[in-house]
Amino acid sequence: MDRRDPFRLNALTSGHRACSGCGQAMAARMVGDLIGPDAIFVNATGCLQVFTTHNAQSAWQVPWLHSVFANAAAVASGVEAARRGLPGSERVVVQAGDGGTFDIGLQCLSGMIERGHDALFVCYDNEAYMNTGVQRSGSTPHAARTTTSPPGRLSEGKRHLKKDMLAIVAAHHMPYAATASVAFFPDLKAKVEKAMRLRGPRFLHVFSPCPLGWDHDAAASVQVARLAVETGLFPLVELEYGAVTGVMRLAQRRPVEDYLRLQGRFKHLFKDAHGAAELRHLQALADANIRRYGLLDATTAWDTGEAGRAQRGGRGGYAPAHGAAS
Amino acid sequence: MSRLRFDPGSSTAYRTGDWRRARPIYADRWPPCGAGCPAGEDIQAYLALLQAGREEAAWRKLTEQNPFPAVCGRICPHPCESACNRARVDEAVAIHQVERHLGDLARGRGFAHDRPRAAAAERHVGVVGAGPAGLSCAYQLARVGYRVTIYDAASEPGGTLRWGVPDYRLPKDALLHEVEAILALGVTLRLGVRIGADLSAGELRTRHDAVFTAIGNGLPLVPAEADVTGHGVDSGIAFLRRVNAGERPSLPARVAVIGAGNTAIDVARCARRLGAAEVTIVSPQDRPGHRPGQPAEEMTALPTEIAQAEAEGVRLLLRLGVQRLVRSGEHLDGLQLAYVDHVFDDAGRFRPVLYEGTETFLPADRVIVATGQQPDWSGLDVLQPDPAAGIFAGGDCVGGARTAVAAIGSGHQAAEDVMAYLEGRAPVELGRAATASFDTLHTHYYRRVPRHTSVEADTDERQRDFREVQSGLESVAVAAEAARCLSCGVCMECDNCWHFCPDAAVIKLGPGQRYRFDYEYCKGCGICAAECPTGHIRMEAESGT
Ligand SMILES: Cc1ncc(C[n+]2csc(CCOP(=O)(O)OP(=O)(O)O)c2C)c(N)n1
Ligand code: SF4
Ligand code: SF4
Ligand code: SF4
Repeated sequence: MDRRDPFRLNALTSGHRACSGCGQAMAARMVGDLIGPDAIFVNATGCLQVFTTHNAQSAWQVPWLHSVFANAAAVASGVEAARRGLPGSERVVVQAGDGGTFDIGLQCLSGMIERGHDALFVCYDNEAYMNTGVQRSGSTPHAARTTTSPPGRLSEGKRHLKKDMLAIVAAHHMPYAATASVAFFPDLKAKVEKAMRLRGPRFLHVFSPCPLGWDHDAAASVQVARLAVETGLFPLVELEYGAVTGVMRLAQRRPVEDYLRLQGRFKHLFKDAHGAAELRHLQALADANIRRYGLLDATTAWDTGEAGRAQRGGRGGYAPAHGAAS
Repeated sequence: MSRLRFDPGSSTAYRTGDWRRARPIYADRWPPCGAGCPAGEDIQAYLALLQAGREEAAWRKLTEQNPFPAVCGRICPHPCESACNRARVDEAVAIHQVERHLGDLARGRGFAHDRPRAAAAERHVGVVGAGPAGLSCAYQLARVGYRVTIYDAASEPGGTLRWGVPDYRLPKDALLHEVEAILALGVTLRLGVRIGADLSAGELRTRHDAVFTAIGNGLPLVPAEADVTGHGVDSGIAFLRRVNAGERPSLPARVAVIGAGNTAIDVARCARRLGAAEVTIVSPQDRPGHRPGQPAEEMTALPTEIAQAEAEGVRLLLRLGVQRLVRSGEHLDGLQLAYVDHVFDDAGRFRPVLYEGTETFLPADRVIVATGQQPDWSGLDVLQPDPAAGIFAGGDCVGGARTAVAAIGSGHQAAEDVMAYLEGRAPVELGRAATASFDTLHTHYYRRVPRHTSVEADTDERQRDFREVQSGLESVAVAAEAARCLSCGVCMECDNCWHFCPDAAVIKLGPGQRYRFDYEYCKGCGICAAECPTGHIRMEAESGT
């Protein structure tokens, strides 16, 4: 076991093959260390699975298994059912990319929720099938460039809209469904901890920038994640049994351009009048989110300013690593 | 073994560090506050200690550079705050209030400077002048174990701080306590000894292995142009010296003060306290900030001092120069003034040009001239600075900023120069340029918090005596000010780099121990540097890329 860090389990540790600056690796490390060692992680096929288990070398320091692309939630359901009545207190966590959640994994996820399994499903949303070379998914935002939605004379990039995955999940009499972002660690931490206090199916949708697929600077991953929230394109909300119970208010609302400009996948929108119209469309989508969740005037515990602060001594970390002196 | 051969096991067997094209490096930068402080205080460091509740450690950190926090917290124009990066976020950190608080706390709690563990050498340094420069130099030498004797002509130590700054700005006991703390290090103080008269400079030189001269600016400097002498005319520093000696001279009703600096303001404010009904400052220069791009045409007095004086009823006549004293025989009637075109000539000399035909008359029963000071080198020829011969000078008497804090910094540098001379090495230049510039910070990570301000004594009440005008801050407010520090360039252990690293290449070492990079695995993405609020991480290209 790698115990270099006494203050962090490093559930997902070094040596993995994610691209430099990978937002999914960052997110999975945060989530894994917040959940801690008493869990069994079931992974769908995708970048996270591939880059953490290359050539028989595993970056996981927690129980972890992988079956195929579509069935992670079904495998997790089985693991959870099989564990009932046995000694031990391990909780079950499912991890999947957006393809493994929005598209091919949707049916198994729906069944897992419908049957009421005690499992947390975490979707690391990098908005395309990244592991196989950036193909569009049901999560890819409108007008984004992917290899299967190339912009051109007759194409604005992806023609369709991003699925409202949270609403789909929440429509299942779902105890807890929330969105979170690496850029707001205290909020992510609160949501993981809340999810782990609850029983039954739970869903966490974590926004995970991808420097390769989104074509942005590796160093910009957190900045991109922050702007997705601050523009209203990725609202941070919590839903309990379908009702909105938590909203991260926007301390400062940013125009969508601030977010889009950092990413090559939206470069074509800044070229001509056609692109300008799509920019207006994306702004209208952000505005619709802002209206729908009351992102500017919700009266909730904190806003993007407060949740985005740093302070001397940190704002909370992880349970100390197992067996390590803290 | 080929790095492409793998055995089942942990991914940590695979070193991703060789993917890296640039490496992150933790490195402190020097914040602008410390660079702006003429005494070179490590302000960021003591604010951080204070945030951790370590008050005594904070005082010790502060006094490494400046043994006069209670003094400077009260009278320093605090250039540190003008340089503070936080001013560009909301308002500068109230550094002077923290400084004052720590100084007062040291007195209340009886903190004492650490005595040297062993005498550094039997070398004996003579210091001429027990003002801030001389005391600062003696302090730095004594801390490391040198023998020091300070000579001063006056009956009490402190120099300008003792004889030039009135009680309502700096209560004498605050000064005295900090002087005594320095003397407690074993410094010998010989008062009532004027070098060049009571003891010859040559004799002094033979008694010591090195000499530091910091005699200040004791002589009034009056421009030759206007003949302002004779009956009814007083010198500003002589007047302040009397007041600060405890005298309360009675003044006539109408007092005119000539000058544009803090001495003129102090003279005027003392005059109000001594009962003068009409106190007018005549200044050829304009208010600070009123002549953009022409600093020489602005008063050198601090805006807050000017405001407090005006609140106390002092009147300012600006852009007026003195043409002559108006007398009826011996009797002083007042001043003939005229408006000024410009004050300094092209070579920067004080040569006010007055407009003919704009003459006005200012009735005055007393004129006090506070137009400047100069050092009195009489009898001190052999002490003209000659570093190679172990003769050094500093503070006001060699020019420069003419503030207490500049004198303190100058005394510290002199101590370093003296030690280098005695130890036969090259001296270290203590001043450091700021490297933690505003654009190295990521300020969205900081909460906006308004600056805490302290209260002023009631304007009517305070003119009845010499009570202190400006109060300090309560300790909670002081702690809050310390917490407003952005920690520019210095890790504040916010955990950002540690949370964000996608590669578990940032290892947390524990509270107070910061973090380390594990270059075996760091891929060099640069996220840690991009998200460090304080600018403590820099990226450096890997060689061969
Ligand atoms: C049934 C099936 N179809 C296709 C694939 C090929 N495949 C492997 S990973 C992947 C994309 C995964 O995308 P996503 O779930 O979004 O995760 P990401 O890699 O983007 O993190 C695909 C298409 C597969 N393994 N199984
Ligand atoms: S914020 Fe703190 S470290 Fe930065 S300049 Fe101001 S006082 Fe100095
Ligand atoms: S975030 Fe991690 S991998 Fe990226 S440069 Fe910093 S230490 Fe290296
Ligand atoms: S990100 Fe925070 S913890 Fe890391 S070096 Fe910067 S100040 Fe220190």
